[in-house]
Amino acid sequence: MYTLCPVVLWTVVMLPRWVFSARSSPRGLPIVVSSSSSNSNSSPPPILHSAALLTCGMSTTIEHASAFIEGAPPGELADVVADVQALTSEEGDIIPSLAPAFERYNEAQLTTVKLPGSSQEVQFNKVEGNRYFDPESQTSFEIDHITQTASAAQSAPLESQNADLIKSLIKSLGVHAREHYPSCSYGVYPTENDSAVAILLVANRYSPNNFWNGRFRAIYQVPVSSSSTSINGNIHVDVHYYEDGNVSLNTTKPIALSVPSISAESIISRIATAERDYQEELNRAFVAMAEGTFKGLRRQLPITRQKVEWEKVGGYRLGQDISGGKGR
Amino acid sequence: MADQQFDSALDLLRRLNPRDTKKNLNAINSIIPELQEDLLSSVDQPLEVRRCPQTNRDYLLCDYNRDGDSYRSPWSNEFDPPLEDGTVPSEKVRKLEVAANEAFDVYRELYYEGGVGSVYFWDLDDGFAGVVLLKKGVTPGSQSSGEWDSIHVFEATDRARSSHYKLTSTVILHLAKQSDALGDMDLSGNMTRQIEADLPVEQGDASHIANVGRLVEDMELKMRNLLQEVYFGKAKDVVGELRSLAPLSETNRDRAAQLEMIKSMQK
Repeated sequence: MYTLCPVVLWTVVMLPRWVFSARSSPRGLPIVVSSSSSNSNSSPPPILHSAALLTCGMSTTIEHASAFIEGAPPGELADVVADVQALTSEEGDIIPSLAPAFERYNEAQLTTVKLPGSSQEVQFNKVEGNRYFDPESQTSFEIDHITQTASAAQSAPLESQNADLIKSLIKSLGVHAREHYPSCSYGVYPTENDSAVAILLVANRYSPNNFWNGRFRAIYQVPVSSSSTSINGNIHVDVHYYEDGNVSLNTTKPIALSVPSISAESIISRIATAERDYQEELNRAFVAMAEGTFKGLRRQLPITRQKVEWEKVGGYRLGQDISGGKGR
Repeated sequence: MADQQFDSALDLLRRLNPRDTKKNLNAINSIIPELQEDLLSSVDQPLEVRRCPQTNRDYLLCDYNRDGDSYRSPWSNEFDPPLEDGTVPSEKVRKLEVAANEAFDVYRELYYEGGVGSVYFWDLDDGFAGVVLLKKGVTPGSQSSGEWDSIHVFEATDRARSSHYKLTSTVILHLAKQSDALGDMDLSGNMTRQIEADLPVEQGDASHIANVGRLVEDMELKMRNLLQEVYFGKAKDVVGELRSLAPLSETNRDRAAQLEMIKSMQK
């Protein structure tokens, strides 16, 4: 049964100390989730800006190349990297200089990696530097952002006053995820000095042989103070279709919900409803665009339902009936 | 090396967000200035509109009516800003160009019911070539917008009693919608198709206008259907692949029951 449900793997999830500081993606979409933990010896990681690393000559190239990396569509990072390498080959290997851009891409896009010695993929949950944390297995590990691989696993205990809530949320989120996302990963993490939890879900489907790739991301924050009963976040859907062209769907839907109580069941139930409502709204928007905006741009046929009689238009009108009805 | 870099630049522009093509093109040009000319003539961007000072009519700008920093108006045949010795078509081809602009103006009105169009022709050793441009934008309600740009580049090579036409067509289609329930939705991109045809030229120049007209008309109909399929069919289907509205346990149960039924019927 498990073999039919790859998502089951994801019930083992990471808890982070640090999730990501608020950032913008290259397309300007707001990305949520900021955090700090109650754990004393970790401090927020410095946000690296490529500009800080620049020397004058290479600076523009690195800036542009970083924007290309961060703008890579779902499932096409390796292709974009190969293009960037070819375009910058005369500058030597600039890829190591782009590490901050890879880091921003990985965190904004909720990249998953396999833990050393296991087949599980996990989301990124930053402790500090390039070290990320998996509370479920109580390990932390180093991430190489450029190759998207994990190494140097260490035992690392989880400390959170919301540990029970987090465990219940993971369970409920797992049930919800398996019901609606054929291929996804998810995680629940303490954030904001352990005063809130972050709920993340990412679903990827890549079909490069058919020239399409897609990614669904949901990022929520739930404050866990006594009085608060709110969920805030964003859903992003990105689809790329590139057979004889380049067509891109990019959406951002801000989510603001209230919950009757801070319980895993009510939180996940409200999230599940919001995600369903959003998908239905998105489906309606496709229809509205097709029926409205698209039709308003160009008619399928002229109002006469007749194609243009080319011999009768323009400066070279022929004798009236010679070719009017002749067609091709 | 340069060839490979050119291919990589095109591949990159095919992958990055089509909304950002202009910005990304500038970035590539700043990394490798030598690619600029080739890229500008190979990468289609949304068309810009300018008003012809002589005729007060709008026309469209592209690489084919550009000479230095000036653009030639199809209505006046004059460059703006003015050029002493700007490249213009031969008298014969300009006559054809004027007729084509007149014909496609009718076409534009019938299919686009507005918008702006321009046709530019130039001479070839054994025929002529041209580009047909059409552009329209709409904003139905303040919360949604759409923009269509058609770019049809063709060559017509003289044959005995016919001409060989080679047409490359690109449509750039940007759509956006915004509301409280929807958030922000952007559906943008471009698609390119090519076709070649040998067509009779029995009425001289009039045949050329009709031949090019029909080729463009048929191509736009095909591409409109294709865009409709990709934008509102394929993109929506992929969203459905990412997230299933129906619970997967039900879907899987139904599928298993169906398989069971098929199996029992095969016995």
